[in-house]
Amino acid sequence: MSTVPAAVAPVAPNTLLARFPRALTILVTASAVLAPLALILYQSFLTAPFFDASKKVGLGAYRFVFADPDFWQAFLNSFTLAVGMTLIAVPLGALLAFVMERTDLPWKRVLEPMILVPSFVSPMVLSFGYVVAAGPVGFYSVWAQDLIGTAPWGIYSIPAMAVIAGLTHVPNVYVYATSALKSLGSDVEEAARTAGASPFRVAATVSLPLIAPALLFSAVLVFFLGFELFGLPLVLGDPEGHLVLSTYLYKLTNKLGVPSYHLMAAVAICIVAVTFPLVLLQRRLLQNARRFATIKGKAGRMKALPLGRWKPLAMALLLAWLFLAVIVPVSGIALRAFVTNWGIGVSLLDAFTLDNFRAVFEEPTHTRAIVNTILIGTIGGAIAVACYTAIGFATHRRNDGWSRFVDYLVLVPRAVPGLLAGLAFLWVFLFVPLLAPLRATLFSMWLAYTVVWLAYGMRLISTSLFQVSTELEEAARTIGASRGRISREITLPLIRHGLLGSWLLVFMIFEREYSTGVYLLAPGNEVIGAELVSLWQGGAIDVVAALSLVNIVLVAIGLAIALRFGVRLRD
Amino acid sequence: MAELTVDDLHMRYGDTPILNGVALTLERGQVVSLLGPSGSGKTTLLRAVAGLETPYQGTIRIGDQVVFDGARALDVPAERRNLGLVFQSYALWPHKTIFDNVAYGLKLRGHSAADIKTSVTRALEQLSLGHLGQRYPHQLSGGQQQRVALARALVYNPPVILLDEPLSNLDAKLREEARAWLRELIVRLQLSALCVTHDQAEAMAMSDRILLLNGGRIEQQGTPREMYGNPSTLFVADFMGSNNELKGDIVEARDGVATLNGDGFSVTGAARSGAATGVPGVAMIRVERVRIADAPGPNRIAAKLVTSMYIGDRFEHLFEVGKGRLRAYGDSALEAREAFHVELPRESLWIFRAGS
Repeated sequence: MSTVPAAVAPVAPNTLLARFPRALTILVTASAVLAPLALILYQSFLTAPFFDASKKVGLGAYRFVFADPDFWQAFLNSFTLAVGMTLIAVPLGALLAFVMERTDLPWKRVLEPMILVPSFVSPMVLSFGYVVAAGPVGFYSVWAQDLIGTAPWGIYSIPAMAVIAGLTHVPNVYVYATSALKSLGSDVEEAARTAGASPFRVAATVSLPLIAPALLFSAVLVFFLGFELFGLPLVLGDPEGHLVLSTYLYKLTNKLGVPSYHLMAAVAICIVAVTFPLVLLQRRLLQNARRFATIKGKAGRMKALPLGRWKPLAMALLLAWLFLAVIVPVSGIALRAFVTNWGIGVSLLDAFTLDNFRAVFEEPTHTRAIVNTILIGTIGGAIAVACYTAIGFATHRRNDGWSRFVDYLVLVPRAVPGLLAGLAFLWVFLFVPLLAPLRATLFSMWLAYTVVWLAYGMRLISTSLFQVSTELEEAARTIGASRGRISREITLPLIRHGLLGSWLLVFMIFEREYSTGVYLLAPGNEVIGAELVSLWQGGAIDVVAALSLVNIVLVAIGLAIALRFGVRLRD
Repeated sequence: MAELTVDDLHMRYGDTPILNGVALTLERGQVVSLLGPSGSGKTTLLRAVAGLETPYQGTIRIGDQVVFDGARALDVPAERRNLGLVFQSYALWPHKTIFDNVAYGLKLRGHSAADIKTSVTRALEQLSLGHLGQRYPHQLSGGQQQRVALARALVYNPPVILLDEPLSNLDAKLREEARAWLRELIVRLQLSALCVTHDQAEAMAMSDRILLLNGGRIEQQGTPREMYGNPSTLFVADFMGSNNELKGDIVEARDGVATLNGDGFSVTGAARSGAATGVPGVAMIRVERVRIADAPGPNRIAAKLVTSMYIGDRFEHLFEVGKGRLRAYGDSALEAREAFHVELPRESLWIFRAGS
C-alpha cells in the first residue's frame, strides 16, 4: 500500500455552496406549506374576499359564522360522527388485527390486502357505492325487499353515517394495531393460554391491553379523521340535509349568493383549530407507542395462537366486516356502472349496457380527467417522491434547529383537510401574480396534492432512510466523503427500493384523492376525484358510476403492482 | 514521532459525562488498545478521534495538525481528518462490489482510474482477497468481510487506522487466527493503529500498549506485561485475567508488604494502592498462580474441596474458605477429602484497600 502518495485530505467544500441546497429545500417547503395557511388566516380576518376593494380588517366573518345555527349543528354533527366512528372502528380494528396477526386463521395472505382496500378507495367512491347498493332503491335494498319484503336499514341518518364511517375506517386502526402486535412476544399470550384463557379472552385481557398506547393513538387518529370527513357526509348527508363542518363550508358559497371567501376562511380556521391540536396529540402518542413497543415480551419468536373451535366465529366476524365495508359498496358501483337504471322490478340482464362508459369516453372532459389522473399519479407521484426525498435528506442525521423546524412543518398540512388546502391553493394561485397563469394547469393540482400528502410521504421516506445503518454513512465520512456525496453515492442507492415502493403508494394515494381538487378544478386540469364531486352535485349518476369504476380500476392496478413487487402497504 | 495525540478530552451526552479528561499518544508503528468494560467510554473515545462525536473540551492532534481544540472551537469534520476506521459491523456498502468499496476512498481523492486499479488490486492481494473484487459484500464470509473493511481503511494510506472491536463479529476459532494475522499485518505494513476491544486477551496479544478505561478515565496504561503483572489498582487487577479474591482486614502494611487477616486465614503479599494498617482490604491472586500444598505453612490456607472440573486442557478445582471461594488449576483430579492447603505465593499476591 505504498503506491498512494502520502494522502492529502480530500477536498470537501463545507461552505455555503454545500449548505445551499438544504437551505433552498427548507425555504421552498416552508413557503409551500405556510403561504396557503397564512392566506386563509389573513382572509378570515377580512370582511370581504381579499380581491374585493371594499374589504376591511375585522372579525365580521367569525361573528357571522358563530351566529349561524347551521354552523353549530354542523359542528355537533361532526363531533357525533367522529365519536361514533371511533367507537366502532377501534374495537373492530383491534380485534381484526389480533385475529390476523396472532392467530392461525387461514387465508391470511389473501385477506390482508382486502382488509386494506377501504383505505385505498376514495371515500367519495365508497359513499357513492353505499348509495347505489344500500340506498332506498339500491341493489341490496331491492334484493332484500324481494326476499323478506323489507330493507330494514337506512343510510342517510347521522348514526348510519357514523356506522359506515366506522366500518370504512377500520384499516386505519388495523395497521397501527398489527404493527404494535408484531413487536409483542407471543410468550405472554401462551402464558395466558396455558392458564386457561380462550383466544378472545387472550385478546381482551392480554394482547390488546399491552398495545393500549397504539390503540389510543389510532383512536385519536380516527376521531381526527372524523372531523376531516367530506365525501361521505356530502353524499350520504345530502338527502336528509345533514351538514358537517366540511360540507357546511362547501355549501357556504350558495348561502349568500356572492363569493363568501371570508366566511369560508373563518370556518376553515375553526376546523384547523380542532384538527391541529389533534395532530400534535397524535405525534405525542405515536412517540409514546413506539417507546412502549420495544419493552414487552421477547419479540422475534412468533407462534400463531391456535383458534381451535373459535375459528369459524373469527372468520365469520372478518368476512362480515369485509362484506359490509368492501363488497357492498364496490359491488354496488360495479353493477351500477353497467345498467341503464335500477329499481324494483328491473332485471339486471335487461338493464345491462355499456352506454355509461361510452358517455365517459366520448366526453373530452372525462377522458382528460382520466389521462390527468394517470399523469398526476405516475409522473406527479414520482416528482412528489423526489421532493419528499429532498426534504428527507435536508433533515437526515442532522439534529439541529432546522431539522426540528421541518419536523413540525411537515405536520402542518396534516391538520389541514384536503378541501381547505385546495381552497387555500386556489387563493394562492389567484393572489400571486407570477403563479396565476398556472392556476388552470395540472401543476396547481399537483402542488396541492404534494403538500396535502407531505406528512404521509415524509413518513415513507424516513422509514426508508432509517433502514440505512448509520455506520454505512459514517464509513464514507471517515474515508473522506462530503455530506452531498454520501447522500448521492451511498444513501440514495441504498434506499432505491424503498423509493420505488413509496412511488407506488403515492400513486395510489394520488389516484384516490378527491377533496383537494374540488376548488382547483378548472377546464384543463380535471382529475377524476374532483370531477366526481362536481358530477355528483349535478346528479349525473350514470357517468359517476362509470368514472368511479375507472377510478377503482386505477387504484387496483397500483395495488396489484405493489403486491407483485412485495411493497409493504403500511409501515 | 507521535502520530496521534489526545489531551484532556472531555465529552458528554446531554448531562451524562462519557469522557472525563482522557489523554493518550500513539507513536508511529505502534498498536495501542483501548480496553475497558462496556460503558467505559472506549468506543466514544475512538469515535471522537474519528470526528464522529464532538467533545467539549481538550485537544486531538493527528501528526502535527490539530483536528480538535475545545478552547478554540476548532473541529475538523470527519471527512477531512484522513483517518481509516474499521467498524465493528464492517459497514461495507451492500450496493458496491468489493473493488468499488475499496476504491471509494481513492475516487474521493481524485486518483486516476489506472492508479485506483493498481492500488486497489495491490491492497486486495495483500489481504488475500485478490480474486473477490467483483463480488458483493453479502457473498463473502465474515472473515473476508473483515479483511475488506480493513483494505478499505488502508488503501489511501491514512497515518492512523482506528479499529472498533475488529474481531468481535468473528466466531471464536476464527478470532484467534485473525488476531495473529492482524498483528502480523500491522507490524509488516508499519501501521499505527488505535484499537477498541473489551477482550483483555485480544488486547494483550495485539498491542504494544494498553489503555484501560473506567468510567471515562484512564485507569492505567502500559505494556501488556505491566498491565497484567503489575496492576496499580484493584479495578485493573480484576479486569485483567482470572482472579481469586479474599476479603479481610489489613493488619499490617509497611515497606510495600501487607498482611491481611480474614475468616480463618492470614496472608502476606505486596501492598498495593491505598493498603494501610487497619483498613478493610482485598487479597487478589491470578488463578494460575495458586498452588495446592500438602501441609500447613506461611500463606497457606486450609480449604475444603467443593468440586474438581475437567475443562479439556486441565482441571479446575474449586475450594471453600469460610464464606469465600478459591479456584486453582491442576493437571489431575483431586480426591475429595476434608482439608487441603491452598498456597497463595507471597510474590504473586497483591493486597489492595477494599474499593480502591
